[in-house]
Amino acid sequence: MKHFKGLAYPYVAWSFALIVLPLLLIVLYAVTAGDNSLVTIHFTLDNFRKIGDPVYLNVFAKSLEIGLIVTGVCLLMAYPLAYIISWFSDEVQGILILTVTIPMWINTLLRTYAWISLLSDNGLISQFLTKLGLEAPTMMYTNFAVIIGLVCDLLPFMVIPIHTSLTKMDYSLVEAAKDLGANNFQTFRKIILKLSLPGIINGVTLVFLCSISSFVVPVLLGGRQYMLIGNLIENQFISIGDWNFGSAISVLLAIAILLMMSLMRRIDPEEKGEA
Amino acid sequence: MKDKPIIELRDISKTFGDQQVLRGIDLDIYENEFLTLLGPSGCGKTTILRIIGGFEEPDSGKVLFNGINIAKLPPYKREVNTVFQKYALFPFLNVYDNVAFGLRLKGMTDEIIDKKVSQMLSMVGLSGYENRDVSRLSGGQQQRVAIARALINEPKVLLLDEPLGALDAKLRKDMQIELKKIQKEVGITFVFVTHDQEEALSMSDTIVVLNDGVIQQIGTPIDIYNEPEKRFVAEFIGESNIISGNMIQDCLVRFDDIDWECVDKGFRPNEEIEVVLRPEDMDVVPLDKAKLHGKIVSKVFMGVHYEYFVETKYRDYKVHTTENYQVGSEIGLTIDPYDIQVMHLS
Amino acid sequence: MRHGKISIGPKLYIALCFVFFYLPIAVTMFFSFNSSKSLTHFTGFSAQWYEKLIHDQNILAAVYVSISIAIFATIASTVLGTITAIGLSKSRRLLKEALLNINNVPIMNPDIVTAISLMILFTSAGLQRGYVTMLLAHIAFCTPFVITSVYPKVRSMDQNLADVAMDLGATPFQALTKVVVPLLRPGIFAGMLLAFTMSLDDFVVSYFVTGNGVANISILVYNMTKRINPTINALSTLLILAVVIVMVGMYIWPSVREKLRKKTRAGGRTLRRGRRGRKAFAAAGFCCMIAIAVIFASQFSAISGKQTLRVFNSGEYIDMDLVSQFEEEYNCEVVYETYDSNESMYTKLQSGSTYDILVPSDYMIERLISEEYLHQIEWNYIKNKDAIIPKLVEDNLYDPGSRYSVPYYWGNVGILYNKNIVDKKDLEAGWEVLRNTKYKGQVYMYDSERDSFMVALKALGYSMNTKDKGELQEAYEWLINQSETMDPVYVGDDVMDNMISGNKAMAVVYSGDAAYVINENEDMDYYVPEEGTNQWYDAMVITKYCRNTELAHQFINYFLNEDVAIQNTEYIGYDSAVKSVYEYFRDVEYKGNTGCAPASDNPRNEVFHQQEQKVKVYMSNLWTKVKSHQ
Repeated sequence: MKHFKGLAYPYVAWSFALIVLPLLLIVLYAVTAGDNSLVTIHFTLDNFRKIGDPVYLNVFAKSLEIGLIVTGVCLLMAYPLAYIISWFSDEVQGILILTVTIPMWINTLLRTYAWISLLSDNGLISQFLTKLGLEAPTMMYTNFAVIIGLVCDLLPFMVIPIHTSLTKMDYSLVEAAKDLGANNFQTFRKIILKLSLPGIINGVTLVFLCSISSFVVPVLLGGRQYMLIGNLIENQFISIGDWNFGSAISVLLAIAILLMMSLMRRIDPEEKGEA
Repeated sequence: MKDKPIIELRDISKTFGDQQVLRGIDLDIYENEFLTLLGPSGCGKTTILRIIGGFEEPDSGKVLFNGINIAKLPPYKREVNTVFQKYALFPFLNVYDNVAFGLRLKGMTDEIIDKKVSQMLSMVGLSGYENRDVSRLSGGQQQRVAIARALINEPKVLLLDEPLGALDAKLRKDMQIELKKIQKEVGITFVFVTHDQEEALSMSDTIVVLNDGVIQQIGTPIDIYNEPEKRFVAEFIGESNIISGNMIQDCLVRFDDIDWECVDKGFRPNEEIEVVLRPEDMDVVPLDKAKLHGKIVSKVFMGVHYEYFVETKYRDYKVHTTENYQVGSEIGLTIDPYDIQVMHLS
Repeated sequence: MRHGKISIGPKLYIALCFVFFYLPIAVTMFFSFNSSKSLTHFTGFSAQWYEKLIHDQNILAAVYVSISIAIFATIASTVLGTITAIGLSKSRRLLKEALLNINNVPIMNPDIVTAISLMILFTSAGLQRGYVTMLLAHIAFCTPFVITSVYPKVRSMDQNLADVAMDLGATPFQALTKVVVPLLRPGIFAGMLLAFTMSLDDFVVSYFVTGNGVANISILVYNMTKRINPTINALSTLLILAVVIVMVGMYIWPSVREKLRKKTRAGGRTLRRGRRGRKAFAAAGFCCMIAIAVIFASQFSAISGKQTLRVFNSGEYIDMDLVSQFEEEYNCEVVYETYDSNESMYTKLQSGSTYDILVPSDYMIERLISEEYLHQIEWNYIKNKDAIIPKLVEDNLYDPGSRYSVPYYWGNVGILYNKNIVDKKDLEAGWEVLRNTKYKGQVYMYDSERDSFMVALKALGYSMNTKDKGELQEAYEWLINQSETMDPVYVGDDVMDNMISGNKAMAVVYSGDAAYVINENEDMDYYVPEEGTNQWYDAMVITKYCRNTELAHQFINYFLNEDVAIQNTEYIGYDSAVKSVYEYFRDVEYKGNTGCAPASDNPRNEVFHQQEQKVKVYMSNLWTKVKSHQ
């Protein structure tokens, strides 16, 4: 095996060029002022100071809120789903998990468009409700629409890791717990939930990460007033053309996420075992 | 044994990190020989094997193969094959494809491969298992596949790295006989690594006892057992009472304040030495004929014999005999001159 | 996990979850057979969208880009990721940990950060953006996923097996391909699947790093917001079917293979399996080579002799059939790419993408002229010059003397309203009607800071080009007040579909869009307040990077041909700059449609002018505040 040591070297070069270098460039943009060119470098922290503006803090807070809600809803929906799926025979489980994964293969934008026709004011759902004689609430361009869209998009990312950790679980532990006098609920709370914790952490991490920084779904389902961090960054780069400020927000977002991830890893018993 | 060594190791040293695992190994391995590298884990025996196989490069020293230094030759260019610990079969190939692996790499035609594989499988007693998944074989069968896979390449030397370690005791005995038989049949050199002294004694032509990266003794199983040259060898192989004493003159040694006749010569007068006494060589005799007197303090039945601990004036002796005595009884002990093995202090 | 009989409750829960997953997919599939454009009303069965799909070059090109990028990125990242994972397990601890941590960055980092970091990299490196940059970016974000799924398998692999192979005569390369890779197969396969999914579904990274007309499905769909094109539903349906077939196939393949194997076992040994595998591998490799060759051939067809023209236009702002006709007539190739706003077009230019022809709006043309991005129009090449409405050329405010631009379409901004809901009398209030609380929750504002501020400034009686911070502040307060009292929804081009569906009563829109909506929904009407509005002009310009100015002029001239302009206008619905076409639509085709050719003689109408960066940033920030006010 020692012969293969050199195989990692190409990636060292690659990851420097396409991972490290771009990040350094963002940081460089974030701490400089100027008109998007690196010819005249002028260092400043103004870009970061600007983030302190309540408007932007508001955007951050809203992103956090959406991220938390979407993660919570996904967890509440996905855990029972994964748990029930794990009761079936292996073959049926395979089919059910396949059914969960197929939507992931279909372009997110296309799926989001379908939600527009479902949720809009004269859309299918309100038509349906009207037929039932109910008054249809406004759903499109609200928090509700954005959350629905994101949950539908991200739910598989929660179901699959939880299901994996449930099936990897040593079932004799559950039997042992029951043998020791735990009832079904106690067994679930004390054993099953604990043992599936790595899956939960994986899923929560993934979903939170994706939802907090998403920008397509909020634009399409939440309207343009729906400003999340992702939209703010896109705005700075595309519409306003202030790359420096956009970079500063990105840097801050990246740092915040990396901090959160390392925090999550601390909780994860599997990671601990490995270290 | 034979005239010309096929492999010669010359002053081999090897360090992993800050740990020196081999210190100046010199070893000749002859054609047709069944040579065993014996020692406790961590003594460097597997490293020697890996250096011969080409998986490790020595820090210094030479590996001569038919007189040519191959220390830097990669494994796939050496006329040596290895049977690995825990077999290391390719799990994604069936028995046939595992055995045929080396031949396919050489680009042999399917007919020749077919012929050789069935020959080899019948030699190891696995005819009819060709399409079996290797994961569905028993430990002994997997072992045979591993041997067949190595031997089919017709190596000059077969290296075996604790090949029987994972088998249960009964199977082990069978495989020992089987391996010896195969070696006779193919007529090539086997270099066998084990930490099991019994295995080494029963199979080998030559045993190399290693400890801490240094060769302790090279010899036939009988030499190694009967005439250990170092305290380590005596302790590691078989059981022994090791006592310090003085060599009064040739053929006369003194320990426990008693002069004993022996057969060893060539020591300085009054040189401090150690004496190895195998428990089964301690003869229990009537008190009046005994040179040593003692009291039995413990007794364990071992199947063929009893093991006693006999308390004497200076020390407790371990004694093996088929006679049955009561704990607490006084007995006399004596030792024949040719059963006393005198060693230099190590 | 073992479980006895599963009762109906849990089963029902699974069913409900699946309904939630598959509802949007089902809707998409269902409406792909709709006979009308509507995505909310099924009017009858038809396969017309499938037919359109087959003929839509844009969509087919995007499908090709998506799939080919996904395949190449998957192959490249699988190879790179696998060998890295193998090498890593043998590397020194320090290197290993450093590399694994770096490798985690693209996985942890939000897509958008990865996307802009790569965009900045490609821009700084001066790389021509397009297929290659997109492929590089995809490999960059896929490889870490392959490494993370292969690396654990490498660590848990029996390390002796590679040694065994070499002991048996395999070179290190043979040991790698014949032993190590087969051992890692499950991990490699999982990584590959992940990479393929990621690549195929990616929007954010692709959106930022692509250029020169290269768009994948996601980008295409995103730029299609202006007018929902049900063709995309047909495409989705086909993609969904393909995915289902592939996934189900992959799911049952192992059991089929097992059966096949048993059969061959019964018949005889599978002796030559190794050989056959090698042949299949070689064949697959050969196919890949061919595919790569084809890609390169198609990428560099420009070199193969045909002239090319790179056109960068707003989404849905040209009839692509006409572009194909032009290509045929002039034996050239048009590389066509779309943007979603003047600003994003400008960003693309600034980040190093080059084009021959752009179709920006007035104030952006002014900016491009002042920043010397443009090449002067040689009017003698524009044979159809006289067909243009004279005042568009002569009284040109954004490009005095029309030295750099040829008018394309024009119009103004007004209020599109539902005649059945909005009282005509209320409209007399002008722009203030947008703050009439009678219509609370019934208003769409357009997400363009300049147009929204225009509304407020005009309502307050100021110039929409004001630089006065006090006036801007007042306008800001007007908008904030509107946001508080009216609960408006700020939308992009999706306003049109919403208005066609009659979702709200009023919307601020461009006149051409209004004409289009009125055409589709008779309840709608268009009104331009007396206080004045934004009188806008879009024009074709040639960039200074243009490699073939003659062809560029021919392209511009082509779209001034009367029959071409008619067909184009039919597709776009805006007011043409060609006089006869303008009049034809005003007087015949769109007669009575108030969105078509609205009066343009109100002296209070203005044209947007280029803003100083300072004012622009100031206004953008205010606009961000307005939008996130709720």
